[in-house]
Amino acid sequence: MTNIKDRVTVCFSNVFPNIRPEEIPGASTTSLAAWDSVAHVTLLSSVAEEFGVDLEVEDFDDLVSYALIVDYLEKKSPNG
Amino acid sequence: MTLNQALAIINARRQSGEGDVYYLACGFEPLHLGTLLKAHLLQRLPEQRNVDLHHGVYGDLRGNIDAAAQSPAIAAAVVLEWSDIDPRLGLRSAGGWSSEAKADIIRNCLQSYTHLETAIERLAARMPVAIAPPSLPLPPIGNTIRSQSSPLELELEQQLADCLLRLARLSGVRILHRQPLERPWLDAKMELLAGFPYTVPFADALASSLAGVLCQPAPKKGLITDLDDTLWSGLVGEVGVEGVSWSQERHTQAHGLYQQMLGHLASCGVLLAACSKNEMSTVETALARKDLFFNPESLFPICANWGPKSASIARILQTWNISADAVVFVDDNLMELEEVQRAYPGITCLRFPVKDAAAVWNLLGELRDLFGKPVLTEEDRLRQASIRASAQIQEMSENAASPEFLRTLQGTVTLDWGVDSSDKRPLDLINKTNQFNLNGLRIGEGEWNRTLGANETVLAVASYQDKFGPLGKVAVLLGSQHGATVKVSHWVMSCRAFSRRLEHHTLDALFQQSNAEEVEFDFQATERNQPLQEFFHSLGISAKTEGRCRISRSGFLERCGILPHQVSNLTNKLTPK
Repeated sequence: MTNIKDRVTVCFSNVFPNIRPEEIPGASTTSLAAWDSVAHVTLLSSVAEEFGVDLEVEDFDDLVSYALIVDYLEKKSPNG
Repeated sequence: MTLNQALAIINARRQSGEGDVYYLACGFEPLHLGTLLKAHLLQRLPEQRNVDLHHGVYGDLRGNIDAAAQSPAIAAAVVLEWSDIDPRLGLRSAGGWSSEAKADIIRNCLQSYTHLETAIERLAARMPVAIAPPSLPLPPIGNTIRSQSSPLELELEQQLADCLLRLARLSGVRILHRQPLERPWLDAKMELLAGFPYTVPFADALASSLAGVLCQPAPKKGLITDLDDTLWSGLVGEVGVEGVSWSQERHTQAHGLYQQMLGHLASCGVLLAACSKNEMSTVETALARKDLFFNPESLFPICANWGPKSASIARILQTWNISADAVVFVDDNLMELEEVQRAYPGITCLRFPVKDAAAVWNLLGELRDLFGKPVLTEEDRLRQASIRASAQIQEMSENAASPEFLRTLQGTVTLDWGVDSSDKRPLDLINKTNQFNLNGLRIGEGEWNRTLGANETVLAVASYQDKFGPLGKVAVLLGSQHGATVKVSHWVMSCRAFSRRLEHHTLDALFQQSNAEEVEFDFQATERNQPLQEFFHSLGISAKTEGRCRISRSGFLERCGILPHQVSNLTNKLTPK
């Protein structure tokens, strides 16, 4: 599970290069000003590519924070 | 390249400071294409450079092209899709596909192309433009099954092809090839969700092609070919002149294809030479065969002997007067390639893959990439003839550079002081010349166009011809006039024009045309600009490693010596604006 968090953290760092590492676990669309609609699509595409998952349209509406993304991926993983 | 790799490349370069501005003009959300294009551009630029990628607003391709023309960009990528030509040809429109709508689409597309061409022409006058033709499929509006083209689709394709052909003829416009791009292209879900129509793998392929077309490496100038089992099949010294072959009947057509490629390259101005371990008389007889697929006279010089091939290549490079890193050597023998590569680490060595037709086909494609250039110029056509003429001049006189001898050539130096931004030859010279080069500084097309627009700009383009024929445009001097001083920022001369005192004529004409009392040079020593340094030394110009150096009018006249040629000034003013 830690592995999932680490990999999601890398995706966040790539898309939001100015965010401090300690801010990432609490990041959400409401807390992070740089997380606009373009960044949202880029971030979720980055996550989808990293984990080889195919996100549905609804997922783009729901996955609006680091915690929700990690939770979503943990449930999708074979050991989740 | 994946999206995450692209993001990592961009972030690794974040501290590189301000970057060159590029513009991505498209009608959809740039999203991953913007990210991937920026990463591919960064990969092609020196490590200390950064890229600042600008783009416009969603759904307004023409407006974005206009915005690009007003931007500080040095180059632009324009990505066309069918929905930009008519929104009803995209996924996000609900305009209908009725018979009436289809007829209206055809009419509207024609109008769109006219507007698009006008906008791109304006943009291309300011910077180089790479245009990606539509990649996405047309909507299923044909009356046929998908495997069969419908008249409507064919008409739309023809309109597009006509438009692209007209655009390709504009100076500065480069049309991307549609074939190498990969499937699957369309990401319908992402298009409807976010207005971005491509799959990531396709966006990567498109971004790579756009960056490759915008940041093209300097094309190679010369190709040296082996003969036995390369230009032809067989060892001519063993099987005889009639025994070697390059034909379909003898199953040696791959060599015939290679010969045709050499003929094509020669027609594009590539220098060709032969290097073979053979008797010269045998080679000459073989090259006199009438069924060769190219003109053997385009091979110059021909080195046939039993010495090491690196020694023959040394002679060829000396005749051409170009460096090894501008040359490709093709040979079937790995040992020969290794021997040449060791002697000339900068030369590009390619193995001719005997009896492997598929690999030969790939080799021809590789040669196209190594020698390809955005546009061909008149000078490309003249290059081979002028190299021969230079060799003849050297043979005629041991002291070929003496003014007395040069006078016998009946040469004319033509200096054009006008500014023609559509002529890319001067820029090409500045960006390719190494030996007679003031400082080695290169200029992008965008910067070039802006410089030419400045009031104080001084531009001299020198052409030369003598009794051996024309050399074409061979030297460029670029600078700016500030009262009685002309400041020269760039000065280059093709190595084909060396030893003719063109540089003396150019400087003399600069003093005359500008009425300047002093010329100041933005000099910088490079690894290869020794010829320019020697010229400065002969005039007493104090050129240390770098910095500004000067010569006065009186100082120049004192030292310039005899000017052996007639001079013709095409435009008698420095700044025609």
